[in-house]
Amino acid sequence: MVIFLAKRVGYMLLTMLVVSILLFLLLEVNGESVAVKVLGPYTSIEQRNIWLENNGYFRPLYVRYFDWLFGIATGDFGQSIRFKAPVSDILWDRLGNTAILGAATYAIMVPVSLTLGVLAGMKEGSALDRTISLTSIGTTSVPEFASAVLLAFIFVFTLGWLPGTSAMSGGFDPVQLILPVLVLFLYGFGYLVRMTRASMAEVMQTPYIRTAILKGLPYRQVILRHALRNALIAPFTVIMLQINWLLSGVIVVEFFFAYKGFGALLLEASLNQDIYMIQACAMVAVFVAVTTQTIADIGYTYLNPRIRLGG
Amino acid sequence: MTKKTTDGLHSYIPRLAEQLGQGRVGRRDFLRTAALLGVSSTVAYGLADKIMGTSSAALAQSATPKKGGTLRVSMNVKEISDPAIYDWSEKGNIGRHIVESLTQVGSDNVTRPHLAESWDASDDLKTWTFRLRKGVKWSNGDDFIADDVVFNFERWLDPATGSSNLGRFSSMTVEEGGKKKMAPNAIERVDAHTVRFNLQTADIALPESMGDYPALIVHRNFTKQGGNLAENPVGTSPFALKNFRVGETAVFERREGAYWGGEVYLDGIQYVDHGDDHSAWLAAIASNQVDLLYRLIAQNVPAIKQMPQLQMYETVTGQTGVARMKVDQKPFDDIRVRQAIQACIDHGRLLEIAYQGFGVPGEDHHVSPVHPEYAKIPAMTQDYDKARKLLAEAGHGNGLDLTIDCVAQPAWEPNTCLALAEMLKPAGINLKVNILPGGTYWDRWTTTPFGFTSWTHRPLGVQVLNLAYRSGVAWNESSYANPEFDKLLDDAMGVLDPTKRKEKMVPVQKLLQQDAVIIQPYWRSIFTVANKKVKGFEIQPAEEMHLNKVWLDA
Repeated sequence: MVIFLAKRVGYMLLTMLVVSILLFLLLEVNGESVAVKVLGPYTSIEQRNIWLENNGYFRPLYVRYFDWLFGIATGDFGQSIRFKAPVSDILWDRLGNTAILGAATYAIMVPVSLTLGVLAGMKEGSALDRTISLTSIGTTSVPEFASAVLLAFIFVFTLGWLPGTSAMSGGFDPVQLILPVLVLFLYGFGYLVRMTRASMAEVMQTPYIRTAILKGLPYRQVILRHALRNALIAPFTVIMLQINWLLSGVIVVEFFFAYKGFGALLLEASLNQDIYMIQACAMVAVFVAVTTQTIADIGYTYLNPRIRLGG
Repeated sequence: MTKKTTDGLHSYIPRLAEQLGQGRVGRRDFLRTAALLGVSSTVAYGLADKIMGTSSAALAQSATPKKGGTLRVSMNVKEISDPAIYDWSEKGNIGRHIVESLTQVGSDNVTRPHLAESWDASDDLKTWTFRLRKGVKWSNGDDFIADDVVFNFERWLDPATGSSNLGRFSSMTVEEGGKKKMAPNAIERVDAHTVRFNLQTADIALPESMGDYPALIVHRNFTKQGGNLAENPVGTSPFALKNFRVGETAVFERREGAYWGGEVYLDGIQYVDHGDDHSAWLAAIASNQVDLLYRLIAQNVPAIKQMPQLQMYETVTGQTGVARMKVDQKPFDDIRVRQAIQACIDHGRLLEIAYQGFGVPGEDHHVSPVHPEYAKIPAMTQDYDKARKLLAEAGHGNGLDLTIDCVAQPAWEPNTCLALAEMLKPAGINLKVNILPGGTYWDRWTTTPFGFTSWTHRPLGVQVLNLAYRSGVAWNESSYANPEFDKLLDDAMGVLDPTKRKEKMVPVQKLLQQDAVIIQPYWRSIFTVANKKVKGFEIQPAEEMHLNKVWLDA
């Protein structure tokens, strides 16, 4: 188990290292353009050279890379061009906001999807199964930008029940979370329901479930004790994968509702070529991706008794 | 030098009044020119009313203002550290709640005294004396004095600052080795509250230029104290910056103590950044999360009309966009190519297609009918035969492939470019529209061979011409360099008489039009919207937020 963990963490670090090299090469090789971005288009060549000199751009590439990597490892992501403030000042706040949005979405999506998925999968082809399947296919096939517009039209412009934007300018306001969470929920839950349903249906066909039913165990106990644990392996992977989606895939929702989260930050940074910010955001996104992947792998071994390591 | 009549008004005023009486100048021209010559707006409006038998009661407020409340405004909150290098009116709007300008251009497009109390100009318009308002206090307790003004001008005119004011006040500069720098003795401190400007060339737009957003006056110790307005917000305005986060919010509270401009009603102002998505702006005001929008785009006008709690504001402006060609780059270095493109354009049609007809058609010379010096010259007409002939002469008889860069938002800009591309097709020009997201267009707006650039409103037509088409200035995006044009522009800028200036504008406008530097589709109307409880707000043609007299009827 220890070897397995060490290997996983090792792979994780290696992936991040490779990504960091790629990012650095993509964004930092052309120092001149960084100087133009920081100092503005009206500056002279001399001014730019002075800035490049002062910021160490004339040092060899590998020295600059390790310097940058060391900075990241110690939490110093550099200075944001657009915000005129340290990247870390902005980044953690925004990441926190997206974590709130993600947590709220998960808190609703996971229980609802698993329950509906299990209910649908228990009796394949039943009226309940068809209703749930149809609804989940329907909501998942509507893209976020479309459901955002539709929900805003109903709840903001027609009924006037909910606030139309979620900038939280007067401090945290849970009411402003409702629409973005609803949009994410509608888009994300269908996939999870379908996965749970398929997995559950498959488990229900297996001989050991049939045996359990035939030996007269109460149906409730068959589901909860025997079927569920095996049926949850596939949905568990999906849940872990969706953390990545919630981190950077929510750009549309954050943009539409003016929510000050990580996705909106990544978009803003890219549109304004805020180089240090893009690097930081990308590193954070990769970190989250490889971490959730590792956790998923470890979680697998717990859920699936057929995967056992190191004996 | 300055001539004064016995009643203290500039010698030109009586003649101007006579012209107004004869209907030779409009009321607007009269008010503007009178304000330019240091006549207070009350006196100028009074004079105009007396001559024309009108009443300026529209300016009077209909209800007694109430004090209190915080006005919430939806607007992008951009970085504001140095007013001298502001390049967005949003930056100016935040900055203006901290620091102020010498003059201010009102919603009626008339320039009025602000931190300057009055001014007068010599008859040749080369010597301007500005008297500063006394008793104005900086928020740190210092008196506002001439040294503050001198410090700002010297800083703007230092090329190292990188300020667009170097072009705006080019009449105070001389060229040395191909580079502009401040002329010796251009700015003269007469006494603690008087500054004199000694210009190289006549400049009628000096008071207007001083009201533009990069000309906000910072404290004389601004550079010494870090040169960052967000971190050290010392100013003369009635508000104090309490919280500022780029991309999120800017919060102001009314300062304690008397303000030189009289009563200020709002307790505070909060700007909220709702990003670049105009549907988010609309949703914010529809659900009462803000009281006022910085901007309402034309395509959202019908939606606003459905909401009875909202009040829409509209004004025709000098706001425009130009498809400008880099005249020193292929293939645009050949004037026949530029003229061929120009010959394909039906300006009125572009206005209809791309901006729902809200505005007036352009004439490719960047002077608007709302400008006082606008001269009516023959408009360009669509002529494909001429276009094809010119292209053939230029060696592009088999067609020409071009690319134009433009921003993705606001939508009227790419829409205009797409309509333009369609219009060029019959002449054999294949125009590819390269829509660039977010701020990336602004990295190349001065360098791309063919680009669509939006230009904000300025009170006088000569101001933009001076900023964008004079040889060698920072914002000359087309690299147009024509000594004859520069000279004609100098001539026009030296004339105070609106009717005579119009005559001088004819060759200026004609030359720019003939040289086909820009395709200017139209002048657009701008809109904004507020909750009906917001009182005393007026839409300003350059989208400036003047909120000192705004109040909330809660």
